Amino acid sequence: MATTLDLPRPPQVSPDDFSRADLEFRGVDHSGPSYEARVYLNNPKADGETGRAEDTGYAGSFYVFGHGGCFGEAGHCDVPEGPHSPFDRRLPHQLTPQFRTVVITDALRRLMRSDQGATFTATVVPVVRENPASLVRDVADPLQFESVSLITYEDPSAAGIPLP
Amino acid sequence: MSAHAHAHAHPASPPSQARALRHRKSVENLSTAQLKALRDSYAAAEALTDDRGFGHWAGIHGLPLPMYCQHGTRLFLPWHRAYLYFFELALRDLVPDAVLAWWDWTSAGSHANGIPAAFADAQVGNNPNPLYQTTVPPAARQNNQPQETSRSPGSPGDLPTRPQVQSVLSLPDFLDFQGQLEQIHNSVHVWVGGTMGEIPWAAYDPIFFAHHTMIDRLWRLWQIRHPNPHLPSSLLNQALPPFPMTVAQTLDIKGLGYAYAAATAHAVVAH
Repeated sequence: MATTLDLPRPPQVSPDDFSRADLEFRGVDHSGPSYEARVYLNNPKADGETGRAEDTGYAGSFYVFGHGGCFGEAGHCDVPEGPHSPFDRRLPHQLTPQFRTVVITDALRRLMRSDQGATFTATVVPVVRENPASLVRDVADPLQFESVSLITYEDPSAAGIPLP
Repeated sequence: MSAHAHAHAHPASPPSQARALRHRKSVENLSTAQLKALRDSYAAAEALTDDRGFGHWAGIHGLPLPMYCQHGTRLFLPWHRAYLYFFELALRDLVPDAVLAWWDWTSAGSHANGIPAAFADAQVGNNPNPLYQTTVPPAARQNNQPQETSRSPGSPGDLPTRPQVQSVLSLPDFLDFQGQLEQIHNSVHVWVGGTMGEIPWAAYDPIFFAHHTMIDRLWRLWQIRHPNPHLPSSLLNQALPPFPMTVAQTLDIKGLGYAYAAATAHAVVAH
């Protein structure tokens, strides 16, 4: 199932004012199947058949390399909540939700030149390939994330995942 | 040098090379002897069920629990470099001339044919190809999964392209580079599908290590382009369990005894 979100057009920014534009996805679940998440701008009707042609609003993809289910006993796959103690040197839980960046520079510039609206939509379409080896079957909605942010950079060297 | 020296036809590596760098190469550029050494090492590892065996090494990445691999974290590249390093040493304990090879999924051959023949051919002569398929041990299988690994590759044209890779190599920030490269990495796992398609079993497919050798090579190419990146000390000092190595100790691949080469050939003097 696709997810569509409204995002404000970057204020006071023209398509030539930035050298890179990122959509940053936070809290991406990866406990289920692997899949491609295709991002479309101003195409809320996009689905798994839409393809990646420029005129569809396709902006880029991120890929989830999934865990394919939980293989421990009860509670094994529960991600601890709350702040991480500085005295806890263990690595994060394997299923800690992830951060993904999709670089949408060209697609955003095209949209800003063709559409002057105050907002635009970002539609994220999960595309799950048939995998006979997978134990995960008939997942209604593998795409789960907490939020998305649009960042436009003057200096692309400032881009990168946030430090803890 | 004697005028009577003779060159042997591409032995896998020179003799007495304990102190020499080992050179990882594209699987498309391996000599017959080099490919045989790689195949022989996999076959030897796949025949062992103890902690020298292929199943043990694949299980470090995924099932059986605990799963140690690092994805979507700051440790993705360093952890997998350490993993390849120890796995390659384990292979060389079995076949001294074995060296990991990379699968260049951006090559013209891959975009025409998909998985390279070295890994795609089910047979080598009359024998099973150890780079084609392995057996997933019972401790790693769930719910009556098949014991043999499998693939369901996509269209070759959907593999990552050289312009995509060049774009990622140009990123100056390590964490940004790592995150974008991991996305390309993920796309290849999804493309191969089957056993490679999900984390718990991916490393049981022999092509996993050729895929990750390509990823490690791209990190090395990025290091050459960006020789003085800023990596925070909290990252550099991070351990990479279960390997006795920190992130800082993964940065110098020559210090780990290997390099990447387009091709190698050796000659020995006949006495």
